[in-house]
Amino acid sequence: MPRLMSPMDLEQMRLQRSAHSRLDQPRICICSGTGCLANKSGECAQAMATELEKQGLSDKVELRRTGCYGFCERGPVVVVEPDNVCYLDVSPKDVVEIIETTVRKHEVIERLLYKDQDGSRVRSLDEIPFYRYQTRLLLHANTQIDPTSITDYISIGGYRALAKALTEMKPQEIVDEIKAANLRGRGGGGFPAGVKWETTRKAAGEEKYVIVNGDEGDPGAYMDRSLLEGNPHSILEGLIIGAYAVGAHQGFVYVRQEYPLAVENTMKAIEQAREYGLLGKNILGSHFDFDVAIHRGAGAFVSGESSALMNAIEGHVGEPRPKYVHTSVKGLWDKPTNLNNVETWANVPLIIERGAAWFQSLGTKNSKGTKVFSLTGKVRNSGLVEVPMGMTLRDIVDKIGGGMHPGRTLKAVQTGGPSGGFIPESMLDIKVDFDELWEAGSMMGSGGMIVMDDETCMVDTTRFYVDFLAHESCGQCVPCREGLRQMLKILNRMSEGHGREGDIELLEELCDLLADASLCALGSSAPFPVRSAFKHFRHEFETHIREKCCPALVCKELIHYEIDAAKCTGCLICKRECPTEAIFGAAKTPSKIDQARCTKCGNCQVVCPAKFGAVIKVAGAASETNAAFIGGQAS
Amino acid sequence: MAHIQTASSIDIVVVDDEESIREGCRQTLEGEGYRAMVAKDGLQGIRMVEEAKPRVVLLDLSMPNMGGLEMLERLPGIDPRIVPIIITGYGTVDSAVASMKLGAFDFIAKPFDMDQLLDVVNRGMSRWDNLAPVATTAQPNPKPMPSPRDLTEADVLLGGLEVLEQYQSLGLNAQSLASKLANLEAEANHHANRLGQIREAEKAVGSLVADLKLVDGIIAKHDYKKNALIQILLDIQASKRWLPRHLLLWTSRRLGVPLARIYSVASFYEAFSLVPQGAHTVQVCTGTACHVRKAPALLSMVSSLLGIKPGETDAKMQFTLKTVNCLGCCALAPVMKVDDSYYGDPSLKEIKAVFKSLETSEGTNA
Repeated sequence: MPRLMSPMDLEQMRLQRSAHSRLDQPRICICSGTGCLANKSGECAQAMATELEKQGLSDKVELRRTGCYGFCERGPVVVVEPDNVCYLDVSPKDVVEIIETTVRKHEVIERLLYKDQDGSRVRSLDEIPFYRYQTRLLLHANTQIDPTSITDYISIGGYRALAKALTEMKPQEIVDEIKAANLRGRGGGGFPAGVKWETTRKAAGEEKYVIVNGDEGDPGAYMDRSLLEGNPHSILEGLIIGAYAVGAHQGFVYVRQEYPLAVENTMKAIEQAREYGLLGKNILGSHFDFDVAIHRGAGAFVSGESSALMNAIEGHVGEPRPKYVHTSVKGLWDKPTNLNNVETWANVPLIIERGAAWFQSLGTKNSKGTKVFSLTGKVRNSGLVEVPMGMTLRDIVDKIGGGMHPGRTLKAVQTGGPSGGFIPESMLDIKVDFDELWEAGSMMGSGGMIVMDDETCMVDTTRFYVDFLAHESCGQCVPCREGLRQMLKILNRMSEGHGREGDIELLEELCDLLADASLCALGSSAPFPVRSAFKHFRHEFETHIREKCCPALVCKELIHYEIDAAKCTGCLICKRECPTEAIFGAAKTPSKIDQARCTKCGNCQVVCPAKFGAVIKVAGAASETNAAFIGGQAS
Repeated sequence: MAHIQTASSIDIVVVDDEESIREGCRQTLEGEGYRAMVAKDGLQGIRMVEEAKPRVVLLDLSMPNMGGLEMLERLPGIDPRIVPIIITGYGTVDSAVASMKLGAFDFIAKPFDMDQLLDVVNRGMSRWDNLAPVATTAQPNPKPMPSPRDLTEADVLLGGLEVLEQYQSLGLNAQSLASKLANLEAEANHHANRLGQIREAEKAVGSLVADLKLVDGIIAKHDYKKNALIQILLDIQASKRWLPRHLLLWTSRRLGVPLARIYSVASFYEAFSLVPQGAHTVQVCTGTACHVRKAPALLSMVSSLLGIKPGETDAKMQFTLKTVNCLGCCALAPVMKVDDSYYGDPSLKEIKAVFKSLETSEGTNA
C-alpha cells in the first residue's frame, strides 16, 4: 500500500516518478479526450500498442493516453517525444509510419504536421497558432499526464499545494490567500470565491460541506468536462484544500452523466487518492479528515443552479429553492456549504503553490488569472482555449480560432451560455473580463464562446435559446414557466412567417416580467439573449415580421430549395441522397424537387458537386409555380 | 358416474401426511359416492395400492418414509393403469413439472377447494375408463415395448392395426375408436397447454426475480441511502434502458421512499425513460454549437430515415431517437451519437450504413 504519510513521502514519490516523466524519454502521447475518441483516437492508441509490441519497443517507448489537448477540430492529436513533434488528424493507418519514421528514425512526417496559412509546416505543438497565443495554466497538465494515473499527477508536482496548505498554512490564511488573489467564480456569476469561502468558514455549525459543480449544462461548452476527464486530481486537490480552509469533512463532485468518461476518470481519481492517503483520515499526517463522493446528474440544466444541485444530492428533484439565506450558510441538508465550479477549484492549487501575488499579475483590474473557453460554432478551429483575462474577443477568434471559414463573415460571438448575450462584430475589441462583458450586454458565463456567421439567423438563434430555457424550466414559478412558453410561442410564429406588429414590444414586456419575478437565475436571466438580440439585431426581427423573410435563409418555413435547371446536369447524386425521395428526374436532364415531400434538410445542396452548385436555397415558401408543378407530376 | 363396474372395490387411495387433508379428501370423495382409502405416508401408501388396486391415487409430494416422486416411479410397476394425481404443498413449478414428467396425470396445489379436487378426480376417473378396455385385453406379460425412438414407421402402423383388431374383436367400431382418440388428443392438448402456461409463468417469474435481484444489488451498492435515489435510478436505467413500474415499486419498498417521490424524480430528468426503449439509442446533439452548424438539418435527415420523431421509438423496437443538449464534442458539430459511438457531421450514406449495420446485427445479438 503506497499510502503517503507525510509531505516528505509525497516529495519522495515525486522525485522517483519525475524521472519517468522526463521529456527526453521516448514517448508517444495521444489525446484521449471525448472529442478525439470520437475521431478514433482509441483505435489509434490500440494500433500503436500493437505495433510497439510487434517491433519490440514496448519497454522502450511509453504510450501515454492523455487528457484533452483542446485542439478538437484537428484530432486525434499525437505528440512524439523526445523530438516534440505534433501530429494532427492522425488515423489508425498512420500508426506504423509514425513508429517507423518518427519514433525509430527521428524523422518528421510532413503531411501530418500543422500547415500554416502561408503553407509552411509547423513541427511542435507550441508553435501552432492555436496554442501559441494561449496561456495554458490549467489545461497544460492535461497533455502531460495520463489522467487515470495519480503518480503521473504527482510527478509533475501534483498535491504539493495540498501538502503546503496542510502543513504550512492555517485555514484562515488559505481563505485570505484566495481572497487576495481575487479568484472569481468560473461558473458564470463571477462571485469572489474567497468571500464565499469565508462565509462558509464563519457560518455556525460543525458539519459543513464542499461541492464541485460539474453540471456543465450550457450547450456548446465543455471546459469542465475536459478538466474532469483530463486532470481530475487537480480538481480534487483544490477541493481538499478548500475543505480544509472552510472546515468541511465531506465533499461531493457533481458530474453530468452525459459525460461518461468524466465520471469514470473522476471516480478513479477519488479511489486512487484514497489509496494514497490523500483522502480519508489523517491526510498526509495532518490530522485532517476528508472524503469525497461522486453524484451523477441525470440531465437537467436547472440542476446546475447551486440550491437545485444540493436538492439533487439530497436525493430530491433538482429544483432550485428560494435563497433567502445563502447556501454558503444554509446549503446541503441545511448545513453551511461551499460550492464552486470545476474550473474555480482547479485554480486553487496554483494559487496556493505560487501565491496570490503571482495570480494577481495575470489578467485585468478586476478579473485575474486565465479563463478557459470552448470556442465553437462557425470558427475555423473549434476547441478549448485558455487565455489570460483581458485578451480581446477578436484575438481569440482570429489568432487562436483561425478566423472564419473562407467566404463567410463574422456576425456575432455569443458568450455566457443560454442566459448570455450576443457580442456583434463591431464590438469584438472588448476584452475578456467579467465586468466588461457584462457592460456589453453579455456575461462571462461558464465559458461557452459560440461564433456565428452571416449564415446564422438571429431570430432562429434567439428562438433556439428560449426553446432550450422553456424546456429546461423546472416549472415551479409561474413567470418562468408560463413566461418562457409565451415567449417561445411568439418567436416560433416569427420564424414561421406569422409574426405580428407589436410582437417585439410584447417580448420586451415579458422580459421585464421574467427578470423581476422569477425564483432563480434560470428565469431571471432568460431575458438576456432576447434583449441582447433586440439591441444588436432588431432589424432581423423586423424583417421576419414585416417581410416574412429570413435574410440568413435559415428559418425553414421561410425558405425552400430549388434546382437551377441551367446548372443541373442531371447527375442524379441529389436524387440518390435525398432521404425522403423528394427529387425526381431522369439522367442528363435537370432534376426537380417535389416541394410537398421535401423536409428541407438541405442534403441535396451539400451533395451537389461544387462545380455545378445547382441546388439553391430560395427565400420565401414554395411558390405557386412549384405547387402547380407538383400537380403536374402527379398527373 | 362413480358407480360403473370396476376391477377393484376401491376407487381412490389418498396418500398425505397431513391428517386434515387426507380425511377431508376422503369425506368429500365418499360424499360423491367414491370408495376411498387413506394412507399417511408413501410406504403405507404403496402397500395399500398393491392390495386395493385403486383407479386413482392422490399423493402428496413431500412425506416421510417415501416421498411422492418415488411413489410415482413405483406406481406403473403395480398397475400401469393407475392414474396418479399430485397434491403439492410447495405449489412450486419445478416439482410440478418433475411430477408431470414422471407420469402424473395432473396436480392440485394446496390450498385447494373441494370442487377443484372433484374436478380433477372426475377427469382422472374418465381417463381410467378410457384406458381400461385396452388394458384389460392386454397380455398378462406384455412384451416390452421398444422405446419410441427405435420404432420405425412400419412398427407404428402395425401397432396401430393390432390395436384396431383388438377393438374390433371387442365389437367396437372405428367410430368409437376415433372418439376415444379424439378424447385422448383433447386431453393431451389440454396438458400441453397447461404445461405451456406453466413454462411461461416460470419464465416470467424467473425474469421478475432477476430484475428484483438486480435492483437489490444496485441499492446495496448505494448503501440503502435514500439520498442516492437519483444514482440508483441512473443505474437501473443503465441496465434496463428504461424504468419499469414494478422496479420503481420495488425501489420504493426497499428504500422506504414513497412511490410518488420516485416518480417525481424519474419524470423530471432527461436521463430517465418511463417507456421501453428501442434496442439502439440515436442521439442528435442540438446544443448551440451544433445548432449553428446545421443540427436541425441533421435531425430532420435522421428522423426521416428512421421514420420517427425525437422522443419516439420505431415499431420494431430497434431505434429510439432523442435530442440531447450538448455532448461536449462541439468541434465535430453537428454530432450524432448512436449507442456509444460518435459521428461528426455524418453524411447520409454514413448514417444509412450505421443504421443498417445495427439492424442486421440485431438478429445475431438477440
